[in-house]
Amino acid sequence: MVISAEILQATLEHFFLAYTALLAGIIVAVPLVLLSLYSERLASLVMKFSNLVQAVPSFAVVAVVVPLIGIGFTPAVIAIMLRVLLPIVKNTYIGLFNVDPALIDSAKGIGLTEFQIIRNVRLPNAYPAIFAGVKFAAILANSIAVLTALIGGGGLGSMIFEGLTNFNTAKILAGTLPVIAIALFLDFSFSVLEHRLTPEYLKNET
Amino acid sequence: MKFKKLFNRIESIKLESVTKSYGDRFAVRDLDLEVRGGELMILIGRSGSGKTTTLRMINRLIEPDSGRVSINGANVEDFDPVRLRRSIGYVIQNIGLLPHLNVSGNIGLILKLEGWDQAKIRERVSELLNFVSLPPKSFMDRYPHQLSGGQQQRIGLARALAMDPPLLLMDEPFGALDPLLRTQLQDEFCKIKKELGKTIVFVTHDINEAFKLGDRVAIMDNASLVQVGTPEELIFEPSNELVSEIVDSKRKYRHMEALKVRDMMQSLDSGYFLEGNMPAEIALRKMVDAGLEVAFVFKESGTVGKIPLNEVLKAGNTGKSLNDISKSLLVFPADASLFEALTQLKEEGESMALVLGGEMPVGLLFSDRVLQGLV
Repeated sequence: MVISAEILQATLEHFFLAYTALLAGIIVAVPLVLLSLYSERLASLVMKFSNLVQAVPSFAVVAVVVPLIGIGFTPAVIAIMLRVLLPIVKNTYIGLFNVDPALIDSAKGIGLTEFQIIRNVRLPNAYPAIFAGVKFAAILANSIAVLTALIGGGGLGSMIFEGLTNFNTAKILAGTLPVIAIALFLDFSFSVLEHRLTPEYLKNET
Repeated sequence: MKFKKLFNRIESIKLESVTKSYGDRFAVRDLDLEVRGGELMILIGRSGSGKTTTLRMINRLIEPDSGRVSINGANVEDFDPVRLRRSIGYVIQNIGLLPHLNVSGNIGLILKLEGWDQAKIRERVSELLNFVSLPPKSFMDRYPHQLSGGQQQRIGLARALAMDPPLLLMDEPFGALDPLLRTQLQDEFCKIKKELGKTIVFVTHDINEAFKLGDRVAIMDNASLVQVGTPEELIFEPSNELVSEIVDSKRKYRHMEALKVRDMMQSLDSGYFLEGNMPAEIALRKMVDAGLEVAFVFKESGTVGKIPLNEVLKAGNTGKSLNDISKSLLVFPADASLFEALTQLKEEGESMALVLGGEMPVGLLFSDRVLQGLV
């Protein structure tokens, strides 16, 4: 009973950590990309930065946060956020920029303002791509939240590392199995959601 | 926000020494063109000739490097581009319907942004759908992917007409359709063009489309304007080799739809006219002397009667006057469509008709000679 309460506690912590970071990632990424629509320099800067972070191993991202910000929950959130930035940025970017030029042209031609084009043409077009990015980011956040236990993020990662240091198989499994379950659950639920949210016209194309 | 159109009718659109270049390549070079209010002006040329650039400078989708574009005398640069575009209908080949909005959402998008209320938008949308021959009930709630190419193009036109703009810009609107559908939409467009009563600037690369729809046609080549004129002017007075090549004037018959009776008639001099009360035998001598196969009389009713030589022969010396033996004949105004005139001749089983310029007879139209002239 003690163990199961501990597992539940750790799982909740894990969830909270991963999804605070994911939310932070979305809140940072989407406006950045929207602003990039107005400035090519910003667009290339944002893309380069998120590509760079993606190229660095997750473990290094987590580690490098410590000398900069320290340890604990907030640094853990920032580390995860940095790591999930790319899939969200990249997909949002693709969604917003890969719009049929005829759509933009005709929207402009019938008298939509730049903002109205983003609101009525680019964003609706980008939803499926943004969603795919968020799905990928959610699964990524789940796995990096394990690593951030090393810098005091807590959660299931702490259990796993404790288990590893003590050769406590039960504890390792108590930490890893929920992580795997969460990953599977995320994948499944996002897929269902994705199918529900995809507009009719896109389903027919594939 | 209540929107006020920048103009309710078009007096004229003027492009004056307009130039636009990309790098060292001219898209449009020193172009002067005036579009008159109410006409359908065709811009035609090969791809890259500058016709689309010219069109897009009117609603400021492209800004000229130099020169002036004005509508009703006012420089378009002085207008807010968004307000300008909402006062001008715009239809492109790729249509650009928003896939996530249904037909009603697409047509009503600008109306919604203009703050119209839902009921009014719906009413306007059904009005427009009726206008483009799509039953509103079954089409309002469909999505673009559920429509055929032709239906999408109709929706594109309906959307362009939503704000009832006095000016329409159309960039190869029928270009992506298959030939049969294209012809059908062209025919329909011809009809609604009159109802619309709008000024239209229309880009195409299809000369048949140009002659079918256009009041005047502007031929562009290599970023410059080559010639502007009515289809007839271009066919009969091409300014250079390129124009005659484009309008294909050696094979005029293809453009018969654009020709008027005047273009193919034989001119008529007063020698063809005889006095109505002249006895047949005197007329016979006169006609034979002049080598006429046919003569005409003015009848008291104000109409013109036809006197074929064989009828005069038959009347012989019965003492009949020309009035007695004259036959009625078909009469066409000089600016009637040649094609329709020929059709009517054929239906009536006649081979000739009289052509009137105003009140006066000016020529004769012989169906067999027309065809010889054309082929």
